[in-house]
Amino acid sequence: MARYITKRLIYMLLTLIIIATFSFFLMKMLPGTPLTMEDKLSETQKEIILEKYGLNDPVPIQYLKYMGGLAVGDLGISFQFDNREVTDIIMDRIGPSMQLGAQALIIGTIIGMLLGLVAAIYHNGFLDYSSTFVAVIGKSIPSFIFAGLLQYFIALKLGWFPVALWGSWQHTVLPTVALAMFPIAIAARFMRTEMLEVLGSDFIQTARAKGVNKFGVVFKHGVRNALIPLVTVMGPLAVGLMTGTLVIEKIFAVPGIGEQFVTSITTNDFPIIMGTTLFFSFFFIFIILVIDLLYGIIDPRIRLAEGEK
Amino acid sequence: MEKLLQVNNLSVSFDTYGGEVQAVRGVNFDVHKGETLAIVGESGSGKSVTTKALMRLIPQPPGRIKEGEILFEGKDLAKLSEKQMEKIRGKDISMIFQDPMTSLNPTMKIGNQIMEGLIKHQKMSRSQAKKRAVELMELVGLPDAANRVDQYPHQFSGGQRQRVVVAIALACNPKLLIADEPTTALDVTIQAQILELMKDIQKKTDSSIIFITHDLGVVANVADRVAVMYAGKIVEIGTVDEIFYNPKHPYTWGLLGSMPSLDSADEDLYAIPGTPPDLIAPPKGDAFAARNDYAMKIDFEQQPPMFKVSDTHYAATWLLHEHAPDVEPPASIQRRMQGFAQEAELNTKGDRS
Repeated sequence: MARYITKRLIYMLLTLIIIATFSFFLMKMLPGTPLTMEDKLSETQKEIILEKYGLNDPVPIQYLKYMGGLAVGDLGISFQFDNREVTDIIMDRIGPSMQLGAQALIIGTIIGMLLGLVAAIYHNGFLDYSSTFVAVIGKSIPSFIFAGLLQYFIALKLGWFPVALWGSWQHTVLPTVALAMFPIAIAARFMRTEMLEVLGSDFIQTARAKGVNKFGVVFKHGVRNALIPLVTVMGPLAVGLMTGTLVIEKIFAVPGIGEQFVTSITTNDFPIIMGTTLFFSFFFIFIILVIDLLYGIIDPRIRLAEGEK
Repeated sequence: MEKLLQVNNLSVSFDTYGGEVQAVRGVNFDVHKGETLAIVGESGSGKSVTTKALMRLIPQPPGRIKEGEILFEGKDLAKLSEKQMEKIRGKDISMIFQDPMTSLNPTMKIGNQIMEGLIKHQKMSRSQAKKRAVELMELVGLPDAANRVDQYPHQFSGGQRQRVVVAIALACNPKLLIADEPTTALDVTIQAQILELMKDIQKKTDSSIIFITHDLGVVANVADRVAVMYAGKIVEIGTVDEIFYNPKHPYTWGLLGSMPSLDSADEDLYAIPGTPPDLIAPPKGDAFAARNDYAMKIDFEQQPPMFKVSDTHYAATWLLHEHAPDVEPPASIQRRMQGFAQEAELNTKGDRS
């Protein structure tokens, strides 16, 4: 197992180097420089600044310099915020995004799974249709509509939670709920389909022939066998949720990283673009590793195959 | 002999978009203590549905027990609640399924799967149940049980898995064991081993077995009595000897004729012509009439009742009516019957010496 994980970590590193290279050259193909929007600066002033930050060097030289810095963990300094380190800015902004994402993911997965289970158990009954209805709503209505509705009814009319901004845990409730709608819908749909298939399999009949009741059949025999596809879709979704969502962060005025990322692209803030991209990529690859390890925990057949590698 | 199970006029239907499929249409039979009843018939004849109905494992909807009684030790299982049935399943009646590759939970340890019934029905603690699970695994001939109890199904071969399935079924010493084609998915050597195992266990525990199969070779090997099913009905029932040496129903003739045997290499294997009837709209008369070379006019008009051949032997064919012409089974079947009789004679002689 340790060997397997080491091997995976080496692959992760290679993947990151490749991603860094591609993003770097792609970014350099963007028109303009970080100073394009600065009208107040004269051409000579701009030249001095570009020279100072090494932006006049040929692109391959810039690339080598950047990768050299990366090797020692230096992501560079932001152009947009004077002299602030990129690492600092990411760490500053990632907290709220991660928290919202994690909350939405956990709540969404749990509620979604329960909805899916109920739908599968009462297949073609009223509860099935109701939960499918919730799933369709959650998947088809964009989260900013929910966000607006929540702000208007829950925050403004009822005054239960703050409308926006960041601070106490109460501030996290509404954005979490708005974000959770999508994972609820996805989890419910997958859980329902998988559970229906599992409940039709032979070993469920064996369990029933042993005298196991409906509850035991679903929870002891069913759920674990239905989890694999769910874990597969929830992984990338987790990354998407936790690396910040521009729309929800804007609506609730959350100081998250999603907004930061978009601003950095429009202002050609190269170090921030690279830093955030690499951070997201790392996170994504890491989650994939976690999912692969989870597969092994859920299904013993996959565990053995890994051990043999 | 004491009756353990008595099935009276059992009918099971499935409601589909195409209409009501009458999978089982008024079946009567009984099972005595300690005996093995084989139910034979081709695919779709209602064998599995009948036995699943006994355990109330028919998915409802679309299935339903339309009418009839299932008297198990005097209690009508057809009328019990789901909760009451859960207490009987696995304890008094248990089931061995056809495909060992899919009938075990792939994500649960073998031990836990055997222990489940013990903990539920015999109120054992986990450690007691685990000890018993190891004993059961040894009983069904799985070596190194103490270690293998913590393994998962994929670490067992097909034959070993079927032994596990047998161990699960035996866990609570059931009075009735239903084996739904337990050897069909196994190769011939393993088949013989599993059959020996079941016979052995029956001797030790004196339980009754209902054995579903379409393999007549297996029937001759394990059964005391045989029920032949066709299109949701029992068309002939009798002791093994009666069914093999003196079959009366043309369908039974067909089944026996289509059984491959080592000494019939020179002739073509017989196949019953046609296909089974559509059970959404079963024919008015004898369901087998359309495929029956010996069918008479009345076969297309009226369903034959069960004619008595002997105290233990009944067959539903108009050929047994007193006004029916005398019809002998086809020559090839007669040769078969003689073959069976000779074999039996040889076997008994062998036993004596």
